[in-house]
Amino acid sequence: MKKYFAVLASVLCLAGGSAAAHHSFSVFNMQTEINVTGTVKEVQWTNPHIWVWVDVSDAEGNVVTWGLEGMSPNYLARRGWERTTLKAGDEITVSLRPLNSGEPGGMFVQTTTPDGTVLGMGGAQRNSAD
Amino acid sequence: MKQPIETFVFALVAILFTTAAGAQWAVYEQPTAADWAALAELPDFSGVWERGGGGGGGGRGGGSALSPTPEYASLREQLRAIPGEGQATNCLPPGMPGIMTQPYPIEFLMTPGKVTMVIEAYTQVRHIFTDGRALPADPDPLFFGTSVGRWDGDTLVIESAGFSDLVQIAADLPHSDQMRITETIRLIDENRMEIETTITDPAALTEPYTTTATLARHRDWTIAEYICQENNRNFVDAAGQSGIILDNPGGLPPLPN
Repeated sequence: MKKYFAVLASVLCLAGGSAAAHHSFSVFNMQTEINVTGTVKEVQWTNPHIWVWVDVSDAEGNVVTWGLEGMSPNYLARRGWERTTLKAGDEITVSLRPLNSGEPGGMFVQTTTPDGTVLGMGGAQRNSAD
Repeated sequence: MKQPIETFVFALVAILFTTAAGAQWAVYEQPTAADWAALAELPDFSGVWERGGGGGGGGRGGGSALSPTPEYASLREQLRAIPGEGQATNCLPPGMPGIMTQPYPIEFLMTPGKVTMVIEAYTQVRHIFTDGRALPADPDPLFFGTSVGRWDGDTLVIESAGFSDLVQIAADLPHSDQMRITETIRLIDENRMEIETTITDPAALTEPYTTTATLARHRDWTIAEYICQENNRNFVDAAGQSGIILDNPGGLPPLPN
């Protein structure tokens, strides 16, 4: 059991909805959802979509930076997210739909903050998945 | 002797040019106080609207079936067979009618002689002239076409013509130069709006294609900036293959060369 790099495959049950305006999702494996745990390196609160970069370490201490694409900051800001909701240094576990290419990246699905807030692409919600 | 003739010719040419320009372009007249007051008699479309009640992209109501002609059905199959995700992946806006179905809000502005739509997606603007001008006989092909509007009671009726070849009726379905779009917009109640959109194109469609959308007014929203090229890491290359740029995770991606 790798303590810092847990990858859990599961069948996607909830549709993502029309989360993105400007492209479809063919680069992502929309049938699979995995988790990565690591330290937020940077949050790019930018259009057309936010990007959350997470440094993930394996048991040997090797660090791989994962790039996670989210929804637009405009969309999220109207639904409870703020530019600093996630920030560099935060320790998080994120569920994501991985890139088909096998590169360390994917579509951000959701994470849960220490206070129990679920941050998903449908918004920030307490005590319920989006 | 020559100078008066030259002056006369110059003046004549100037008059002809002025007349031609006047025929082609309507002149913006300064609104009067009565023009501004008349706006208060119209339904109030002002404010920020979003399709559906909550999440983006919803609010699609009923509508007719999309009925491409055999020729355009074949074109659609050919386009569907091409890999890649289309122009939007590279941040090119969809134009009409697609720009009206994005999961982002639209602000309506009402001024004398004009309704303006400030569209958040791709930071776009539609200009609907309600000053009585006619559609041009041979409009230039544009992403939004050229639009004129008139009030039919409490309903705004918008007619648009002249569309770029880079816009499509629906996914992978191109249009001909005969495409016309009619939108009827009305308030259902204080904070809900209905937009019925009808597309006719005798070359591309056997029947008019009608869709209906419901929008909700969000009085506590403002339109935000949306520069698609700011940090677009999705791309489709020349071969139609889509991908993601994961370079420079500490900063924005390098500019394309």
